[in-house]
Amino acid sequence: MSALDIIMILLRIAFGVLVPLSFVAVLVWMERRGAAYFQDRSGPNRCNIMGFRAGGLVQNLADAIKLVFKEDVVPGHIRHKFYFILAPMLVFITALLCFAVIPFADVLLVGGSSYIMQAIPTDIGILWFLAIVGFGVYGIILAGWSSHNKYGVLGGLRAAAQVISYEIPMGLALVSLLAVYGTVNLTEMAQYQGQLLFGFIPMWGVVLQPLGVIIFIVAAFAETNRTPFDLAEGESEIVAGFHVEYSSMKFALFFMGEYVAMFVSSALIVTLYFGSYQIPWLATDTLLAYARPVTVLLMIGLPVIGYFFGQWIKKNNSSHYRREHDPRIRETKVYIALLWSLVVLLEVICLGYLLFAAGGGADRILVALLQIGTFLLKTFLMCFVYVWVRWTLPRFRYDQLQKIGWEKLLPLSLLNIFITSAVIVAFG
Amino acid sequence: MIDTYLFFGLALLSVLGALGLILFRHPMNGAMSFVVTLISLAGLYALLSAKLIFAIQLIVYAGAIMSLILFIIMFLNIQEEDLPVDTARWFYLAGGIVLLAPVAGLLLKIVESLPGEAEPLTEAGFGGVKQVGLVLFQQWLLPFEIVSILLLVALVGAVVLAGKRG
Repeated sequence: MSALDIIMILLRIAFGVLVPLSFVAVLVWMERRGAAYFQDRSGPNRCNIMGFRAGGLVQNLADAIKLVFKEDVVPGHIRHKFYFILAPMLVFITALLCFAVIPFADVLLVGGSSYIMQAIPTDIGILWFLAIVGFGVYGIILAGWSSHNKYGVLGGLRAAAQVISYEIPMGLALVSLLAVYGTVNLTEMAQYQGQLLFGFIPMWGVVLQPLGVIIFIVAAFAETNRTPFDLAEGESEIVAGFHVEYSSMKFALFFMGEYVAMFVSSALIVTLYFGSYQIPWLATDTLLAYARPVTVLLMIGLPVIGYFFGQWIKKNNSSHYRREHDPRIRETKVYIALLWSLVVLLEVICLGYLLFAAGGGADRILVALLQIGTFLLKTFLMCFVYVWVRWTLPRFRYDQLQKIGWEKLLPLSLLNIFITSAVIVAFG
Repeated sequence: MIDTYLFFGLALLSVLGALGLILFRHPMNGAMSFVVTLISLAGLYALLSAKLIFAIQLIVYAGAIMSLILFIIMFLNIQEEDLPVDTARWFYLAGGIVLLAPVAGLLLKIVESLPGEAEPLTEAGFGGVKQVGLVLFQQWLLPFEIVSILLLVALVGAVVLAGKRG
């Protein structure tokens, strides 16, 4: 095992663990600011360090400190303390493990060996996801059961029944997708989506499986227990559902687990249906062939994006009334300076690449970085869809939820399998 | 080398889990220790380079079936006091051991007679999704279909039985 191998293993595992974790912070922020935006208010915008509010991101830090220093209560009536403590860990760990098989860039060829860009470079792909998602249910069941609380048990029952029943349409939507791609390996699926249909449409899952994508997204929403399927923690009925007895970091693990699960299922939806890391019309080979022109375009595009982003910061990061010694003016100036220094740094790196390193390994690393960026951008947008739906649709009733799952999604996904296989047999 | 350690660890865990299933009195403890057994069995399948069986063991047995059993235990909310007092427990256990001892002896003999191969016995790609699928749907298509009809019958039966109540 060479030094490069070890570095690549460490890098991939770090990516697989740290990216979902840092996305928790981003998603909590996005949820709050998104909710505020949809409800026409400001959201958390006062928390600051030396006057820097980072658009509300500092609020997360305050929340984290609050949760860490809260008293960690295990109520006296709980008999099975082991399961009570195990449950939040299970929820969090399973959510994090699901991300391990999702590819974030095409297979990277460096130093004569190839690296599959997944945290666990295995080819069982989607099966791993299905296996680990099943274990997430344990956490919910154990939490609800060991809380020994009526609300807890009700919430646990609802969540478990919901997750188990929505796994079926999800699995069936996957079956027709697998028939299209002909593989369970997520990296191969992503490579498949780099092709072009009729020579000009990107062959993304959403184009090939328009019905499947709807079924899968609905089922994924239900799997993550997000509104409109968050009966498990319906505040108006059962307080907080299965995590009603939890406090401090144990609650925080549930909370973070929910956001990690949301990130992972967004990443999975992107991987399966929205082209994964593929930039439309620019498959890996094309990108490699045109690495230099792409870099030049990037160097032109970066200042333009920076300019508009700066204008946006200037417009939004201002006081709405006259203030003496307005601290936000200084804040905005610092942000814009930071933004431009980032742009300049990236320009210098691009220039250095063009002048000294272009060709061979550097090209491949550049392409991999571009693909990672694309993947994260797509996942970010998909996460926004989650927030968007949460603050737009009201919660279902429980019988409605089960009816949608069993009477609408299940027949639709079966129909989808028949149509898909007929088309594949006829044309493939 | 690490394979050997992994094998011993997983084998130990699976035996411990199975023991827990029998010896724990509370159904939830029994179910959870059985989950440990099922997961370690999945690990053993993975050591045998049977990737698909590994995934299916996790999805079907450790994931779906056991979560349904846990769900039922939670739903009925069985506590220690609800359980019947079985006095003849140790008697049954001893009887079971006496009955199973010859079978265990037979198994040990089989294990002893296995060739001590150090070379890998499988060719590349063994146990992958594609390879198992090809074998399953070409050589074993008829048994596969018969088994799936059997499962369908069980499914329909469950629906009919459940429908009678309402």
